[in-house]
Amino acid sequence: MGSELSTVLQLFMRSLETGSVYALAALGIVIVFRTSFVMHFAQGSMGMFSTFAVAYLLARLHIPLVTATLAGVLVAIVMGFLVDLLVVRRMRKASNVAKEIVTLGLIMIFLGLAPILFGSDPLLLPKFLNTGDILIGNAAISYNAILNIVMGLAITAVLFYVLQKTKMGLAVRTTASNEDTARLMGVPTRQVTLVAWALAGVLGLLSGVMIAPATTVTVSLMNPVQVNALFACVLGGFQTFYGPVLGAYIIGIVNNFLIYYVSSTWGGQIMYLLILIFLIIRPNGIVGKKLIKKV
Amino acid sequence: MNNQPNMKQATQAVNPHGPRPETSQAAASGPQPTLLGNVYFKFILFGVALGLIGASQSLGIIKASTLGYLGNVLIYAVVALGLNLLLGYSGLITLGTAGFMGFGSYLAAYFTSDMDISFWGALLIAIIVPTLFGVVIGFVSLRIEGIYLAIATLCVSEILLKTFEEAEELTGGMQGKKASYPNLFGFQLDRLTTYILLVVVLVLIMMLTYNLVNGQMGRAFHAMRGSEVAAAAMGVNLLKYRLISFALATAYAGLGGALYAFFIKFTYPSVWNINLSLYVLAAVVIGGMRSIYGTVIGAFVVWAVPDLILKNLPIIGKISGVPYIFNGILIIVVIMFYPNGLAGIGNTLKAKAMAMIASGAGTGPKGASTQADTRTPGSPSGAAQSPAPAQGDAAIRPGADSGEGVSK
Repeated sequence: MGSELSTVLQLFMRSLETGSVYALAALGIVIVFRTSFVMHFAQGSMGMFSTFAVAYLLARLHIPLVTATLAGVLVAIVMGFLVDLLVVRRMRKASNVAKEIVTLGLIMIFLGLAPILFGSDPLLLPKFLNTGDILIGNAAISYNAILNIVMGLAITAVLFYVLQKTKMGLAVRTTASNEDTARLMGVPTRQVTLVAWALAGVLGLLSGVMIAPATTVTVSLMNPVQVNALFACVLGGFQTFYGPVLGAYIIGIVNNFLIYYVSSTWGGQIMYLLILIFLIIRPNGIVGKKLIKKV
Repeated sequence: MNNQPNMKQATQAVNPHGPRPETSQAAASGPQPTLLGNVYFKFILFGVALGLIGASQSLGIIKASTLGYLGNVLIYAVVALGLNLLLGYSGLITLGTAGFMGFGSYLAAYFTSDMDISFWGALLIAIIVPTLFGVVIGFVSLRIEGIYLAIATLCVSEILLKTFEEAEELTGGMQGKKASYPNLFGFQLDRLTTYILLVVVLVLIMMLTYNLVNGQMGRAFHAMRGSEVAAAAMGVNLLKYRLISFALATAYAGLGGALYAFFIKFTYPSVWNINLSLYVLAAVVIGGMRSIYGTVIGAFVVWAVPDLILKNLPIIGKISGVPYIFNGILIIVVIMFYPNGLAGIGNTLKAKAMAMIASGAGTGPKGASTQADTRTPGSPSGAAQSPAPAQGDAAIRPGADSGEGVSK
């Protein structure tokens, strides 16, 4: 029984770790969605690009991991600014489909740029904490996993604090609730969207840096993160900031437990099927409200 | 076309000899006896041209690899036409194209190689089974809207993709599955004749699409895209037309997948990922929504231009990521500045040229017929017929003008 419990614990911690990766990416998607009303399909690709930059600095220029990550944060911020200034800002009046397609175009640009700038060979990115486990019962949990979990939870907590308690958070929330009114009330909505895109970029980078040690850094590094973060947003609903985070952790937990207890080959499909069924039953997500359509 | 007599009368009443600004529809539907004015004849002519380009490979005029790229263009053009019905005409977005296309390819490969079913049987199965899935998604789409729908279809596509990877007895897993060139009524086709078959299928699909969007269904789609509530109030059965548009899009995707299996003779999972869905979307957007020829041009730009043209350029041609960047920038530029795509640019140029000709000396039928030639055949709403094609398209138009309003 003891070993059973420690398996569950280990699975749970692993779920929290993957959940944290998805949560950060999903948070980026929802912040962009709420402030500039764009479905950010390129979140993963932008995260891939800045993670590639980190891995490149580390592997080719031998800059220490922490410094390289800070440089990556800078890259992510600049990228977010550029995307907002050059593309998103110029098409505020466009239809939703048009905006979605534009982020698809961004994906292609980043997919093409990454191998040109950083080479087409896969790069390795080490963990922040390379050694050490904590034993809880029989469950061994690495320091790095704990760091990732703490990082995920801490960053979401800080962001929620900023969103709820600070003046800047208030600006973001008013922009999200009604952009035109917010602008009329003196909220600098342009700065808000600029910050939102930069923030999404940084969150994408962090999720990339967290997931990279598990695989290699290639252009397809973030594909599963992008897909699962989107599902997390849908699961939690786009109407709140905490919904997608909740959805991300649920996906992490359900996925890991299905793979372990039900089927290692079909666990993923079963989860996607469950999400689909859930979507049909509750189209607006767990905490979502139905939007009333006016003619 | 049941309004032919009216159109004919109207044309004659206006001015039988002078420039005919309003006759593109009439010329297209063919009340005039001229063969060139017949839209179906033009589709066939287009097909013959494509076939001749392919056939010139046996004379050594184009390279064997070029034939492969062109075949790809034809296959993806079929799929993109299906997505255009959905995205362009009915305004519904899907990211499931790749999954359904892959499904069609695996069905075709499995039933011809493993079950020894004839080409026609396998083709039929590869179209019908995905279509049934499409109908189910059509039902779902009534409850899920916009981005949620896009992600739900992405979900279906991901499930299919994982199934291709895991169901090894049926799909060959990561190794992929082999197929062979089709056998038509006892004739074993080779690479070139399969290419000709692709051309024939594409032309038939273009004709079918033209008929669909110019009939009652096309009008219902336009109404749905404009406003679903208003369309429902006008008596458009939303459920019926959503089911039809999803069924058609998945049927085209299944057909495209089957053609892929027969032409490439091989199918494996990593082809059918989300990026392919994005590429098909790119082809529709770049070519021009609601334009049949535009979609084919879009498919050419996305699948052939990078390999046939960009790779042969000095310096840039050597860099591997350039095709991606090229397509990405093209998508963004087209969406931002030319919401009607390349077909729209062509129409605008034609309209401007026409206006110049008309304001100069009336040069009559020749100018008018070239105009009809390049106009979008598939838009009864007048979006493509009006002198400024962008006008009828406020729904998708981001507008350079609105951008200026923002950044003052």
